[in-house]
Amino acid sequence: MNRSHLAIAAWLLLLAAAAAVIAQTRYSADLSAFLPRQPSAAQQLLVDQLRDGVVSRLVLVGIGGAPPAKLAEASRALAQRLRGDPRFVRIDNGDALYTERERAFVFEHRYALSPAIDAAHFSTEALHAALEDSLELLASPGGLAAKPLVQADPTGEVLLLTDRMAGGSRPELHDGVWVNSTSTEALLVLQTQAPGFDIDAQEDALAALHTGFEDVRRASGAAGLELAASGPAVFAVQSRAAIKGDAVRFSSLATGLVALLLLVTFRSPRVLALGLVPVLSGAAVGVAAVSLYFGEVHGITLGFGATLIGEAVDYAIYLFMQTDARRGAAGTLARIWPTLRLGVLTSICGFSALLLSGFPGLSQLGLFSIAGLVTAALVTRFVLPGLLPHRFAIIGVERAGAIVRRTFQHARKLRPLLAVAVVAAFAVLLSREQLWNDELASLSPVPMRDQLLDRRLREALGAADVRHIVVARAAGEDQALALAERVELALEQAQGERLLARFESPAQVLPSAATQLRRRDSLPDAPTLRRRVADASLGLPFRSGTFEPFIEAVAQARAAPLLDRASLTGSALAVRLDALLARHSEGWFAMLPLSGVADAKGIEHALATLADPHVVMLDTKSEADALYRSYLHDAIALSLAGAVAIVILLSAALRTPRRVFAVCVALAAAVLVATATLVALGQALTIFHLVGMLLVVAVGSNYALFFDRALVEGIDDRTALSLALANTTTVIGFGMLGFSSAPVLTAIGSTVGIGAFLSLAFAAALAPGEAGMS
Amino acid sequence: MRTAVAATLVALGVAGGHCAEDLEAPWTLPRLMSEFAAVRSSRARFTERKFMRMLDRPLEASGTLAWDAPSRLEKLTLRPKRERMLVEQERVTMERGTPPKQRTLSLGDIPMLRAFIESIRATLAGDLATLERFHRVELEGTAEHWRLVLQPSEAKTKSVVRVIRIVGRRGDIATVEIEQADGDRSVMTLVRDEP
Repeated sequence: MNRSHLAIAAWLLLLAAAAAVIAQTRYSADLSAFLPRQPSAAQQLLVDQLRDGVVSRLVLVGIGGAPPAKLAEASRALAQRLRGDPRFVRIDNGDALYTERERAFVFEHRYALSPAIDAAHFSTEALHAALEDSLELLASPGGLAAKPLVQADPTGEVLLLTDRMAGGSRPELHDGVWVNSTSTEALLVLQTQAPGFDIDAQEDALAALHTGFEDVRRASGAAGLELAASGPAVFAVQSRAAIKGDAVRFSSLATGLVALLLLVTFRSPRVLALGLVPVLSGAAVGVAAVSLYFGEVHGITLGFGATLIGEAVDYAIYLFMQTDARRGAAGTLARIWPTLRLGVLTSICGFSALLLSGFPGLSQLGLFSIAGLVTAALVTRFVLPGLLPHRFAIIGVERAGAIVRRTFQHARKLRPLLAVAVVAAFAVLLSREQLWNDELASLSPVPMRDQLLDRRLREALGAADVRHIVVARAAGEDQALALAERVELALEQAQGERLLARFESPAQVLPSAATQLRRRDSLPDAPTLRRRVADASLGLPFRSGTFEPFIEAVAQARAAPLLDRASLTGSALAVRLDALLARHSEGWFAMLPLSGVADAKGIEHALATLADPHVVMLDTKSEADALYRSYLHDAIALSLAGAVAIVILLSAALRTPRRVFAVCVALAAAVLVATATLVALGQALTIFHLVGMLLVVAVGSNYALFFDRALVEGIDDRTALSLALANTTTVIGFGMLGFSSAPVLTAIGSTVGIGAFLSLAFAAALAPGEAGMS
Repeated sequence: MRTAVAATLVALGVAGGHCAEDLEAPWTLPRLMSEFAAVRSSRARFTERKFMRMLDRPLEASGTLAWDAPSRLEKLTLRPKRERMLVEQERVTMERGTPPKQRTLSLGDIPMLRAFIESIRATLAGDLATLERFHRVELEGTAEHWRLVLQPSEAKTKSVVRVIRIVGRRGDIATVEIEQADGDRSVMTLVRDEP
């Protein structure tokens, strides 16, 4: 057994071990990977909200394309169908809150639920005023319908509660269901059972919505019926589909082109397959390493990691192209290994910066890339030669090689152009006030059209704007409700000052025990109430006995047990409560979503009067943006540190300042000019661009180092051709992605595509001394 | 109560005087409807009295009523409290209280309200089809004194409203009387402004 057989055996063992680890690996899509290791309370809340909060589960639906009557019919049919579907926990289309069941509940428990109840509410004076109002109501055009209610509820608690639950300016009703202001669209709000981050389950729920709608459409006979759906879940599912679709489309196109190019060059499918061995081994070991160290692998690590070790494909190209029959693969490797090794070390410097990041997401990416690249390099060095056929050489490339070498030799003439390009790049980059887009929305792959649809439905529905939410935390459920009630008071005051339009609160559905007790205790007994009603009726035309149903109801409420969560079971109100009051590891969270926020600062001010650190107003947008900003800044700072490490490494390895200068300037200029080009084209830089730049450095360092080596032994035709081929495959592979419509793919693709080409050109132009003139 | 009966008797008496003139041309629903259809716009003052068992005297309200074909009906109550109800096509806007609070709903949401509003509006529009969609319609009397008797056909409405009687002279409505299932009733008397 010779050395190469040993290497192959060790490699197979490593792969088997990696496969064993991968088989056990847990993959997560958990957003906490974007959280710093020591998150603030607000950041933690934000991520919790995004992960499984109410708003992340909302689906807004519009049904259009038919006359109003048909729309109402369709809305009802769809709602009825989905209400039986366990994938949805709430279907609101206007009649949900007003079903007999909820109406009966609110009516029965009006004296426990109504915020107006206190001792003064049933004084003779207050009752007199209430009876006068009742008289007015009876006289009004709607008086006919109000008659039974007036007798049982002369103080108007049911009206008050219904108004509050309806949220003031809910959508208009047509035939009992919500419609937009022009009655051209029926509106529904759905809440999925699955949390927002579970995109598979969300996709499933949306599919159920679409199938349900199709059935409704067919049954209705109105072929023109159209369904529009929006909301965080819809966006998440669509984005994933779009990215997946684009990734598959563009990468298969790119892969096809690259494979064709390599096949034409290598003239052997087997060699083509062997070329993938280092990068695939690297990916396997990378996943296994992350899994072992972090206990799980994030989806993002897989996606970006595979990109970051794309450099490894080049290793095989260098080996294959530079091997000729005379030297053999082993001879070639002995010759190019020092260069490759330095290239790998350079890349590791760049990526190890990520490893040290305070964000688990970035650390995982760093570890994956380092483990992957080291593996790929070692596999190229020790395993590939043993797998290649005896006396392997790529033939028939001499003429092409000579042409490429001569082209490279002329590249020195580009130096003035390079200087101009760098100066122009600086000018572009420095002229921008804001180079980096630090809004999270910049990463959103949601097309403008869908964002507009979302806004339209949201406005029509008067739905919570998903941005501002007050979170109150307490040890127990009842304490959380009590705290929510204190928040309500502050918010009502803010409402009075027009700082916000509306809010919802769990305590509106289920008041705290203390509040219920206080209300119950303030109810007068039957004889007292009867006497007061009689006194209050003086001078009013009500016949005696008219308000017996009212006196009876108050007496019942005095004897009724307090409401708790169980009293709501089975009604839409229970679902509503669950959405607003949730149990967490650290206690209970009451959530009060705000709508129509005019002055967030002012509301925060009003909340500050509560002086309770457990009450936090969350501005999900600015909080998420702040989080992304720190993530981005962390990554930029670390990348710069990595750049410094690269300079130190190269200084130590190349020793002469002239050589270090040539390599570093080629890389820096390539990154700079590529970035400036994208900025000049109107792109705002995001974290995806940064990932792209790291890759440019990783790939480009190899080019520069090969030119550097040429200083010693001159650049030969095969080396020149291997560089050109490696570069062409990179430019094709990533350039294709640049045409995608998904920001993540466009950013990485365009950065790497342009950057890789420029690094080769610049490395050739800056090759020191008489390089390549041999 | 007595006042309303007296008013009805007076109305009957006045109408009686004109009976003879129209004997030869039978007074039919289509003829009544075409009289109304010819009026594109009208204004009237109204007085409404509601008689309820829970009250020992009738509730009185007054204001103005404005009709514009084909579908706009505005009832503006001025006494005892200002209150506005505007019906346009399918949409009802109610405005009451100080400061005025608006509530918009669709006629289809409250069948009872629809039966009540359409009884007047469809009559004013001369729209027999709509009238017949919600009521069983009977016409009595003559052109100078006719009486339209509307009995709601929808079950839920029927449980609240027993019958609506509209009395008038040619293309004018004089009174609208609504009798509820529980015996309560309201009478609205209209006086048309001269165009």
